[in-house]
Amino acid sequence: MDSRLSNSSSSNHHSNSKKRKKNATANNANQKTLGVAWGSKSLSASCSSRKSPFSDFSSYMAHKNCKLQNQFDSEASASAARNTIFSGVSIFVDGFTVPSSQELRGYMLKYGGRFENYFSRHCVTHIICSNLPDSKVKNIRAFSAGLPVVKPTWILDSIAANRLLSWVPYQLEQVASNQPKLSAFFTLKSSKMSEDTSTNALCQVEPDVEDSFPRVGQLKERHPSEAGEMVEVCRQISNESNDISSKKTDVFMMEEPISERVICDEEKLAEANSSETNNERNTEGELDPTYQEPSTSVSIPCSDNQNVHQFPSSEATGSSKQCHSTLTDPNFVENYFKNSRLHFIGTWRQRYRKRFPTLSTGLNNGISNSNKSDINSVILHVDMDCFFVSVVIRDKPALLDKPVAVCHSNNSKGTSEISSANYPARSYGIRAGMFVRDAKALCPHLVTFPYNFEAYEEAVSCDEAFLDFTDAMVEDPELLASSIRKEIYETTRCTASAGIGGNMLMARIATRTAKPNGQCYITPERVDDHLNQLPVDALPGIGYVLQEKLKKQSVHTCGQLRMISKNSLQKEYGMKTGEMLWNYSRGIDYRSVGIIQECKSIGADVNWGVRFRDMKDCEHFLINLCKEVSLRLQCCGVQGRTFTLKIKKRRKDADEPAKFMGCGDCENLTHSVTIPLATENVEILQRIVKQLLGCFYIDVKEIRGIGLHVSRLENADTSKQGTEKYTLKSWLTSGSASVKKQKYHMGHNKHNSDCANCASSHGCIHSQGSSFQIDNKILNIHVSGDPISTPPPLCQLDVEVIRNLPSEVFSELNEIYGGKLIDFIAKGKGKCESSSSLGNSLEDDAAICKEEDLPYSDPIPLNQIFSENKAMQHERVLGSGHGSCSQVTHNSNIERDDLLPSSLSQIDASVLQQIPEDLKAVILEHLPAHRAQAFCSTPAICPGRINQDSVGVDTSKNCPGTVNHALNDSLRAGNLPSWMDKFKDSSCLRKLREIYHRSGFNSQLSSVLPQFLSEFHHLDLTQEIYDETVNIMCELLKQYVKVKIERDIEEIYICFRLLKRFAVKSQFFSRVYNDIFPFLQAAVDDNYGGSLFMP
Amino acid sequence: MQRKENETPQGQAASVLVEFLEVAITAVVFLKGVYPSGAFERRRYMNVVVQRARHPQLRYYIHATVSGLLPFLQKGMVDRVAVVFFNTDNVPLEKFIFKLTVNQSYGSSVEGVDLQISLRSFLAKLSVSESLTKKLPPDCRWEITGNFQLLPETGTSKEANFWIPTDTKQWEQPLFITPIRSMSSDPLCLQFYIEHPSLSESSVLREGNSEL
Repeated sequence: MDSRLSNSSSSNHHSNSKKRKKNATANNANQKTLGVAWGSKSLSASCSSRKSPFSDFSSYMAHKNCKLQNQFDSEASASAARNTIFSGVSIFVDGFTVPSSQELRGYMLKYGGRFENYFSRHCVTHIICSNLPDSKVKNIRAFSAGLPVVKPTWILDSIAANRLLSWVPYQLEQVASNQPKLSAFFTLKSSKMSEDTSTNALCQVEPDVEDSFPRVGQLKERHPSEAGEMVEVCRQISNESNDISSKKTDVFMMEEPISERVICDEEKLAEANSSETNNERNTEGELDPTYQEPSTSVSIPCSDNQNVHQFPSSEATGSSKQCHSTLTDPNFVENYFKNSRLHFIGTWRQRYRKRFPTLSTGLNNGISNSNKSDINSVILHVDMDCFFVSVVIRDKPALLDKPVAVCHSNNSKGTSEISSANYPARSYGIRAGMFVRDAKALCPHLVTFPYNFEAYEEAVSCDEAFLDFTDAMVEDPELLASSIRKEIYETTRCTASAGIGGNMLMARIATRTAKPNGQCYITPERVDDHLNQLPVDALPGIGYVLQEKLKKQSVHTCGQLRMISKNSLQKEYGMKTGEMLWNYSRGIDYRSVGIIQECKSIGADVNWGVRFRDMKDCEHFLINLCKEVSLRLQCCGVQGRTFTLKIKKRRKDADEPAKFMGCGDCENLTHSVTIPLATENVEILQRIVKQLLGCFYIDVKEIRGIGLHVSRLENADTSKQGTEKYTLKSWLTSGSASVKKQKYHMGHNKHNSDCANCASSHGCIHSQGSSFQIDNKILNIHVSGDPISTPPPLCQLDVEVIRNLPSEVFSELNEIYGGKLIDFIAKGKGKCESSSSLGNSLEDDAAICKEEDLPYSDPIPLNQIFSENKAMQHERVLGSGHGSCSQVTHNSNIERDDLLPSSLSQIDASVLQQIPEDLKAVILEHLPAHRAQAFCSTPAICPGRINQDSVGVDTSKNCPGTVNHALNDSLRAGNLPSWMDKFKDSSCLRKLREIYHRSGFNSQLSSVLPQFLSEFHHLDLTQEIYDETVNIMCELLKQYVKVKIERDIEEIYICFRLLKRFAVKSQFFSRVYNDIFPFLQAAVDDNYGGSLFMP
Repeated sequence: MQRKENETPQGQAASVLVEFLEVAITAVVFLKGVYPSGAFERRRYMNVVVQRARHPQLRYYIHATVSGLLPFLQKGMVDRVAVVFFNTDNVPLEKFIFKLTVNQSYGSSVEGVDLQISLRSFLAKLSVSESLTKKLPPDCRWEITGNFQLLPETGTSKEANFWIPTDTKQWEQPLFITPIRSMSSDPLCLQFYIEHPSLSESSVLREGNSEL
């Protein structure tokens, strides 16, 4: 007890001090709820008695809070919050959350919110927590002080949506479940958002090859060596020959993880026989491992960046007037990637997967690195000879011996680059990466062809593959290689070269020696000899920059490279590059064939043809780029959290680049941002990118290239494959730890709704008098009236409720609806009047009701505080039927809520006058401000009148209209005009109707029944009414069963279980139940072929 | 959630429903503990914690079965989908029934989101409904059955051929149903309840019918 007191006292002091400091929170203070009032009361009482012991501690707390505030403020100003999504929001994190409270604090810092370390009613606007202990749930108001208790996802989703979302759907279930209507009311509207955030694509990562490449910065490098050898440019690409005529996959070559013996053997068999027995299925299965990327790290040129050099300007027409810049082509981005060779290669793997979606899953399981230490491993590398050219000329035998090159343009002055040249052309010195005009100068009769991507795809997808047949026990690897090559030639009419070595590096180097159209086997003994004379740039991963650096150290061959110690290499070139150089120069390559590389980032770069006139161009371009990236993300089934925008900015002194529309000499600028929730959504992407672009403060005219990359990829499920991929998109990873069994299911709590409404104190307080009648709606409207949430559409409002609202609430609402509310009311009135023909009887009812109420409206003492006798209370409950709903709910109210009465009408002024002055002051103080005023202004009114008045007024106001609504509502479901008519006559069933309209629009009998049953329980009936009432009740239930049985058996079930429960207590209901039960079972049998199980 | 624009509301509802059924059936199987709980992993679906089968074959069975229902659901031919648990003698012990009505005449478009919210409550309710169900003997088996309003003619469509008559025996005695959840939101009306034989129940109130 002591500790609790000290706690609360400290918070009180703290809040007081804060109040002094911050006037801004003054309006919050007005909304003090009873829970807090009680808490503070207890402590103020204790403080007054024991003031001195706590003064130190509280001042300490005040200081501590002050300091924390200052820290937060300074951090917030340091982070220069651009974004003020959460301005005005101040959170307090309670307990364990995901993300952690520190992360949440970070987000608040970043997005303009506040974060409180210690709970205070005045500063905190939202409590964030993932879970609550039962004790706190039971006494929610004391815990939350009436503030919303919200799950952390609210913050994340708000950030993702870039606006403050309504917290209502994010309310903690434990709390929210007590209010089924409330949440049902709002989730509908906000669900779109939550769906957005909750949907997550799951499927296997299928890395976009191009983009998964390690970023190497800008490699200004000429294209390595022979034109046809794209080995250096791209990656290991498996070679899969497709018989063009039959379109059947016959031969394939691939890299193969050593550990997969089964497959190796299979393959060996297939290939050694040179047979065509490989059916497609086999191929599919085995192709899987071919998608592995080598772990080439640093210096394989990143295809994106190389676009500058390798992407020739325009199409084969060569007309440079046909300007494909961002200036003229609105679909630039799409066309760009459509025509990019590197993009073609890069995305090949994905296309391939699509072609064989049934890839067996089991295959990539057993990958191991066992061949690291395996000295005797044998790797075969097969590479097509000048592939792009070969495909083009295979149908043109006349060109066989002529120099031929493939490029985008055949304009002899073009700055298009040659991507592939055949051997005759190479003998002229033509190399890949050369400008066409230079090539033409070297060889004037060079024949150039444009790319023919379809043909490439048709023939072979790409042009090289590794095969590890260490375990295959092939006696003569050379024999195998030649048979593979033969087969390739027969099926594709293109030649291939093969190299065999102890590892991937050596195999590749061997292929290089073997070209064109040959094969070479470098046995382990010959490795040293071979490497000694090898120029360094022949090693994969050594590009232009690195080569230049090495040249400066006068290192030209691997032999020379070997002289340098590993340490100094690492010092000079960095750990990884250094080690790579050291290893490669010794013919060591630890890469194993077929390790799947998780793709780390996905993105797209456009560095060619980027010219903007103004911001609009640039934004248009970015939108398209976002689309592209979003598509790629979707293809891979991943979502990312970090977004990086790279911009190439023309250097100040740089001229227009030599390459037409190229990027020239540029500075590379990057900015990135990380968001809390991974996304692939193109709109979010666009927004982020726009934001990022704003960070650059750059003149768009200077931009020469833009790249967008998404990293911190998350994917939901690595095992999802192929067609299954999108069907269950919304299955999410079980990342969130805030998972708990939803004990509090909405359906269960319907009968609790009223206590729940009281328990959560939002809004209720504002409605004065006996607030219970309109509780549900008030609550809804109130919450929706909250500036941060969206109000429900006008049509959903209950006219009657609106009309009965206190004027200040009404005007506030009216404001929110932009004045439309008044019209709405006017219309509603008309409707009401037209339907008031329903009768005098209603008015009669109201009158009776009033009369009935009067005798019971005895002075009600401040019963809860002064432990009033229960009898009085019972009476009141019975009598008014309005003041509180039922005994059941009322009692639970007392249990779970604070002890102050929820409205002034429950206070007995005479009792109040009797109590000591100081105590009275405390009570008054803790009544909400406007109520205290009301109280003070009516001191003369005799105690009983207050209650009486309010009840009376409410009754008369409520009855005519709302009943109509309830009626209409119930009639909506089926044609039941009869049962309401009958109700008019029966005094007891009138009660049911009252409760019915009290619960607003709810047409479910099951939610009304418990209240009715519990109230009815206390009514005494004379015999003749009794029989009639039973009949009417049975009739009602029968009608209801008829309406509901077909479409909502659950509702029927709930109703009848309730009925059964009450049948135990009440003879009346026992009769009703027994009468109706056979009918029910017959109805169920008709519809469902069984009887309802009533436990 | 991208749906084709030109899909009918029934089609949309059906595709949401198929997804939902896959999850719900998995949840039922999990709930009944036919497999060790390790055979499932936790997932979120429509923001509710659900279970998903780890074993590819189990997953495939459920997935393929409900996917096979899709064309019939769209046509409104499926009356109910049942998850039947039966003992080694093929005598069913408990059936979890999804009774569906797809309103074929419903014209306006479906807000998939609304539908999902309604469906979500099924999952939530199901997860707390273990007490309503019976304990199964250790070596029971289960299957998914579909009750069609009229038998699709085999041979006419490829999908129809996937469906075979069930071997499961029918109950002799009257059966009892325990509703779990109902939903009615056009064009889809879905009732979820448990059927079980009334052997242990003393108060049999009427003669059972033998429709099943």
